[in-house]
Amino acid sequence: MSTLLIRGGRIVDPANDVDSEGDVWIRDGRVVPAPADPDARADRTIDARGYVVMPGGVDVHSHIAGSKVNAARIMRPEERRGDARAMRRWRDFRSGTIGSVPSSFSTGYLYGGLGYTTAVDAAIPPLGARAAHAEFGDVPLVDKAMLVLMGNNHLVMEAVKSKDRAAVERTVAWLLDSARGFGVKAVNPGGVEQWKQGGARIAGWDDRVDGFDVSPREIVVALAEAVDALGLPHPLHFHGLNLGIAGNWEATLEGMKALQGRRVHMAHIQFHSYGGSPDAPADFSSQVGPLAEFVNAHAGISVDVGQVMFGDTTSMTADGPTGHYLANLTGRKWYNHDVEQEDGCGVSPIEYQDRNFVHAIQWAVGLEWFLRVDDPWRVALSTDHPNGASFRTYPDVIALLMDRNLRDETLARLPEKARERTGLKDLAREYTLSEIAIVTRAGPARILGLAHKGHLGPGADGDVTIYAPDDDRRRMFALPRWVVKGGEVVVDDGELRAAPIGRTLFAEVDVDPAARAALSARLGEAASFHPTNFGLGLEDLSEPLGVRTGARP
Amino acid sequence: MPTEALPYTCTFCGCLCDDLEIRAEGGRVVEAVGACGRERPYLIGIETTPGPPPPCRLDGVETTAEEAVRAAARILADAKAPLVVGLGRATNEAARQAIALADRIGAAIEVGDAASAWPRVVAMQRSGSIGATLGEVKARADVVVFWGCDPATTHPRHFERYSRVGRDGRRAIVLDAGETATSRLADAFLAVDPERELDLLLTLRALVREVPLDPHRVEAATGHGLAALQDLAETLQGARYGAWFMGASAGRGSIELAEARRQAVTALVRDLARKTRFVSIGLGEAGNAHGVEGVLAWQTGFTPGADLGAGFPESWPGESSASDRLARGLFDAALVVGGPAPAIPVGKPWIFLGDADDEASARATAALPAGAPGIDDSGTFTRVDGVSLPVRALRPSRTPGAAEWLARLNEALGGATS
Repeated sequence: MSTLLIRGGRIVDPANDVDSEGDVWIRDGRVVPAPADPDARADRTIDARGYVVMPGGVDVHSHIAGSKVNAARIMRPEERRGDARAMRRWRDFRSGTIGSVPSSFSTGYLYGGLGYTTAVDAAIPPLGARAAHAEFGDVPLVDKAMLVLMGNNHLVMEAVKSKDRAAVERTVAWLLDSARGFGVKAVNPGGVEQWKQGGARIAGWDDRVDGFDVSPREIVVALAEAVDALGLPHPLHFHGLNLGIAGNWEATLEGMKALQGRRVHMAHIQFHSYGGSPDAPADFSSQVGPLAEFVNAHAGISVDVGQVMFGDTTSMTADGPTGHYLANLTGRKWYNHDVEQEDGCGVSPIEYQDRNFVHAIQWAVGLEWFLRVDDPWRVALSTDHPNGASFRTYPDVIALLMDRNLRDETLARLPEKARERTGLKDLAREYTLSEIAIVTRAGPARILGLAHKGHLGPGADGDVTIYAPDDDRRRMFALPRWVVKGGEVVVDDGELRAAPIGRTLFAEVDVDPAARAALSARLGEAASFHPTNFGLGLEDLSEPLGVRTGARP
Repeated sequence: MPTEALPYTCTFCGCLCDDLEIRAEGGRVVEAVGACGRERPYLIGIETTPGPPPPCRLDGVETTAEEAVRAAARILADAKAPLVVGLGRATNEAARQAIALADRIGAAIEVGDAASAWPRVVAMQRSGSIGATLGEVKARADVVVFWGCDPATTHPRHFERYSRVGRDGRRAIVLDAGETATSRLADAFLAVDPERELDLLLTLRALVREVPLDPHRVEAATGHGLAALQDLAETLQGARYGAWFMGASAGRGSIELAEARRQAVTALVRDLARKTRFVSIGLGEAGNAHGVEGVLAWQTGFTPGADLGAGFPESWPGESSASDRLARGLFDAALVVGGPAPAIPVGKPWIFLGDADDEASARATAALPAGAPGIDDSGTFTRVDGVSLPVRALRPSRTPGAAEWLARLNEALGGATS
């Protein structure tokens, strides 16, 4: 029994409606009620008087493992050469390199260093799960989970075509269980398969996917229904059509409408909120207004932003046609990898420049999303790491949200035409500390359906971040004074003290043995591997922790 | 052993076929259902009950595991410029431990025989790469190209499992120095002078990009008439989904031009991908170099080699590598994971971790016996297309596996890694 007392800090715990001074007790890795004995002492006490105490950060949408991430590392040595872009070996901690896609141990240390203790990789194809789980085992300090790609899955599309809801459910459950995933992701549903076939582009909700005779609308509705029927903690995690393309906002709105009130999480919504048309790039503009209005009116919809920050980064997506489009647009090196049965990935370097008209609007579109969604519980902070920027820019994003002047200063140096194409300059809202706590931890935890994360009530994970208040918000959030993971102090005054590997969260779903056998046999006919080697066991996961399904919160 | 119920994964060539069924009787393998003609004779007769455990050795003399680990750890701890090499047949699990160890002692580490891996990786760093898992080829390809390689000989089940030559109406084209077993099964063959491979690739690319070409110069550069190459370019562009397969060095020409050939193939495939779907994929090599390269990349950011001597990972292709330092004697200790072990100059202490029957066990300063993955050891291998698959032992192991030995070394060097 080891206990930690965090004494006298300003506890910002919006999930429990707390913003006041108090103590946090942690015993054996979990938050516990304060002992009845007023003289009770803890094994270790942190004097947090004068500090701000929040739950550990939770990232609902990031790319931290798997073949796309590793391809980006291999392809981009130019951004990881030299002392300043590396982490030195220190004590028993591992060395690594940074760039826009840090090596595995560095990813964990850097997330932990920002006070983040949970990160979800949002795009793992079922066949890539074995490798991604192995990589998770080398990402310390954060609890990990993966969302499994299913929007272009052959067996899912066959089930959708049959209009048999139970068949879709069985297929989703089997895929999720085989990959030991946490949630279900759909990326450009049907559109990636169509592109892989070399067919006409899927741009609308009722276009048909050749060979499967299903539409994006049918796929996404069927997946959302299956996710709910299975009682998964996290709703369908959805990357829509036409990512990054001028004029895509209408398809985004139509996609949300297609779900007819079913719960859904809209991923990196910033990239789906543009006016104009592909033929007239000069008409590019923000269309956050009508989209945010729709989100505000529909409680079942949450979003993460996918904020763009200016600088050099790497785009990576399971949306192969988008990856191809981007690489051709920039003319830079391009990694593409088609994965059988489901998606694949495209990776290419990209630099967001403040003098670039389109990039400037993208930056403003992201901020508009934060400021136009009324309910902060339904907007999660993300940069779609590393797509919009590295997660290392989160303190900069937080500073922009809390300070209108800072936004105006940046706006002032953007192209004038870009300033006029967004509504950002008229948005006076400034986030409070409590709202920051919501969009960086409490909200994402609730969106993920993780009852033990994102708050500091009894039973919560003993993951705590303690900040020194600072008018310079960027500095405040970049350098937490202490970070506690599972009741253990892991960062103390910017120094790494311990690096527990963290848990791998997965959804415990029941799969009917007959369905498993039938689906496995079907997979075996088409696959390049033995279907027995498709499904993963708990021994293939690092510190697995099952999350129960079936009872929706 | 669970191997009777689970499929067996063959590590004999880059196909990494994971669908074999091993039957044992009287303590020996008597049948390997599904195995190809190359692998089957190797598997049949393997003993499925382990013999007595082989010993650890120090300077060739038998010793206990504790002594050997202590001595090996001392060698590594005392080294100022150590190397970690081999690893071409290590499991991904062993690789994780080996890199942890390299990080701890500040070693330069390199995966397997990286002579062909460096050009492949550097070409990818310059231009990217455009590929797919082999199941995509199996399901979609209607045109399959074999460039300077002969899978019918080297990868016997490639046609059956992946490239499906002779089936589904797909068209197979072989470009190679001369006729091969593969070319005799293909629909078309074009002889390519290894010296002119790069010229041919660049010419094909120009044709796909519809650049006007002088027929005389084309013939002088490639040895082929413009019309023949135009036909070939038409076939490639006419594919619905094309797959370009090649061997480790992207052709049979000199290794110095391997990187240029890789880049030319990627550029050609990228140009083709503007008009249709096209990918390029290696045939794959025996062992697990791709898997270990992947682990090295995720842990350090670099592959197929990284120098951890400065206290953080560095990689300078063409300037410095572990194999280069090995060849020039620029090291003071080495850990060799798996055979065949290189020649090590007298006076430089080194550790061999691998098959006790390998000649290196008698030669090394310290030898730790570890069985081979797929025979005595289990773990994960990664296919050339990035698909990770379990590799299962045929028999109970007589010794710790390489991953466990490396973990013991890490522990002896100063505690757990994190």
